[in-house]
Amino acid sequence: MLEFDGAVKRFGPLTALDGCSFTARPGRLTGFLGANGAGKTTAMRAVFGLVHLDAGTTRWCGQPISPGDRAAFGYMPEERGLYPRMRVRDQLVYFGRLCGRSATEVGGAVDRWLERLGLADRAEDRVDTLSHGNQQRVQLVAAVVNEPSLLVLDEPFSGLDPIALAAMADLLAEMAAGGATVLFSSHQLDLVEHLCEDVVIIDHGRVVLAGELARLRAALPQRFAEIRFRGRAPAWSDLPGVQLVAVDDGFARLQVEPTGDVAQVVALAQGSAELTSFTYQPPTLSELFRRAVAS
Amino acid sequence: MTGPRLVGLVARREMRERSRSRAFRISVIVMIVVVLAVIIVPALIAGGSKTRDVGITGATPAALPAAVRAQGEVVGINPRIHRYDSRSAAERAVRSGDVDVVIVDARRLEWRGEPDEQLRAVITGAVQLVAVRERAAAAGVGAGTLAAILAPVPVANVQLGQVLGRSRDDQTVALVMTIVLLMAISTYGGLVLTGVVEEKATRVVEVLLARIPARTLLAGKILGIGLLGFAQLALTALLALVATATVNSVDLPAARGAVLAWAVVWFVLGYSLYATVFGAIGSLASRTEDAQSVAGPVTIVLMASYFASFASIGSPTSWWARLFSYFPATAPLTMPNRIAMSAPAWWEPLLAVALTLASIAALVRLGGRVYSGAVLHAGPTVKLRAAWRGSPVGLDQARS
Repeated sequence: MLEFDGAVKRFGPLTALDGCSFTARPGRLTGFLGANGAGKTTAMRAVFGLVHLDAGTTRWCGQPISPGDRAAFGYMPEERGLYPRMRVRDQLVYFGRLCGRSATEVGGAVDRWLERLGLADRAEDRVDTLSHGNQQRVQLVAAVVNEPSLLVLDEPFSGLDPIALAAMADLLAEMAAGGATVLFSSHQLDLVEHLCEDVVIIDHGRVVLAGELARLRAALPQRFAEIRFRGRAPAWSDLPGVQLVAVDDGFARLQVEPTGDVAQVVALAQGSAELTSFTYQPPTLSELFRRAVAS
Repeated sequence: MTGPRLVGLVARREMRERSRSRAFRISVIVMIVVVLAVIIVPALIAGGSKTRDVGITGATPAALPAAVRAQGEVVGINPRIHRYDSRSAAERAVRSGDVDVVIVDARRLEWRGEPDEQLRAVITGAVQLVAVRERAAAAGVGAGTLAAILAPVPVANVQLGQVLGRSRDDQTVALVMTIVLLMAISTYGGLVLTGVVEEKATRVVEVLLARIPARTLLAGKILGIGLLGFAQLALTALLALVATATVNSVDLPAARGAVLAWAVVWFVLGYSLYATVFGAIGSLASRTEDAQSVAGPVTIVLMASYFASFASIGSPTSWWARLFSYFPATAPLTMPNRIAMSAPAWWEPLLAVALTLASIAALVRLGGRVYSGAVLHAGPTVKLRAAWRGSPVGLDQARS
């Protein structure tokens, strides 16, 4: 389990982390969310000692993180980086060996990963001869080549095409299923909602919301009704405790407060138009996010 | 994994990747070709010019040709003798350049232009010798007695040189050593500089530093490039020695073993010192184009140290030469000269080594701090003071 406990980091007049505390649990995907400049990258770098905290600690399995622990961590920085003129396989073996693995052990792992990601035939090529997408794959292998028990990825989905994105999502889920703790940052909230069991939302260096996504959603009293219909749009906002959130031709998204009555919404829809679909759900992650960051 | 093993791993990568690069291979070949050319080309030119053509005409003692050849052999000239029946034919041969000189009646030398001094001495000596032998025989002096009379008195040649009993050879050794040390330190130190900037510019450094400490990465890079540079120098020096021994063209100055051993020590120390500074300074630049400008002050110190060293060859016992030979930034280039030129007291090189080692240890710590404070900060060149405080203004600050 990865723990942040009151982490503080200042850069001159700017406070990047301001008492940041949260945990990421093994066997689960934890989404790390926040606006640009909220402190995500600084927090992730603190795990690897790339940033020295002014106060607070980062712990792994209950102990402050030591350099020895980091040999069993994997990291994919936001700014991707590889030696452009080094051969793919040599480079990955080198990264693996820096974690203390033997050459033969790492060699086998590298070959398996390259095979799996369809790069086996490029193993002896220089990295700068690879396409952007393939370089991203090599970068991913560099992060997982030591079979890490903690995997930290900064914006792993940015710049991926839909196929690579799905492959990355599968891979992260698989790492978590294998028992690893996986923490990643992303701005793609739909994707995080679909993928993660846990989320941590950070704003101005402080954690504003953290926990199991399903519970966080359920804990909010508001519910959301999504209605598709044919015909004239009724006057939704006239109903007590109901607010119109989004509207389109033949579509409406309504926020229903605890004081509102969903039966009235359905009745109104059926009364004035032909109802084609209706869902009634807790808030989405992006609603949670906006609410947490705004407060 | 322990620190030294990680340093070794980083060093091995440097050596392997760099020795694979085309630029490095070309530089090795060019260096060898240049050094061999310096040694072999004079041998080819000199080899052809060692033979001289000597014409003989008129009344000539029978022993003269043999005497000319014998005298020539002493100074390394191979005179080929050509006989001419008439003086006019002999003079034509001189004018057309067929022979270098003609000996007329064993009393007169005719040249095309300016006399070749070495050849003139050879022929004059031979003429004298033959004449003395004839007169001795006429006076009834036997060959054995004559040989005893003419037996050379050994005259020792002692080169007082300009400084403290050391010769011109020592000066040449000191000069060559200074130049080689400067080239080696600036070349391989420069590779450390660009290597650090490249790792920062390609952002691979963040992946590396998540796994190993900054000091380990820097130390491994310095060690790897240093070993590669040492191997390149040693290979070139070895080939140069073999070539010199083979063609025997360049007179190797009689360098003393101790002087050469000290030169190796000072290469290691000087390179370590400057490479550490180059590595730390390199972390301030984010683009390879900026590397040379951030390293400017260090390069100026290195060049100043070269001039100090150069000046100290002339007066190795002056107070300022002593000072430069103790001061860590100038010691690597100055102390080897003083050792070659003036035999400093036994404790002086040891003091300089101790001071330089202490500075290297301090610079590794200071440089490591600057390096870790700056190397993750992209964007404009980081200010040294900001890197020292570990809070540089860069993209990262704006982002998170």
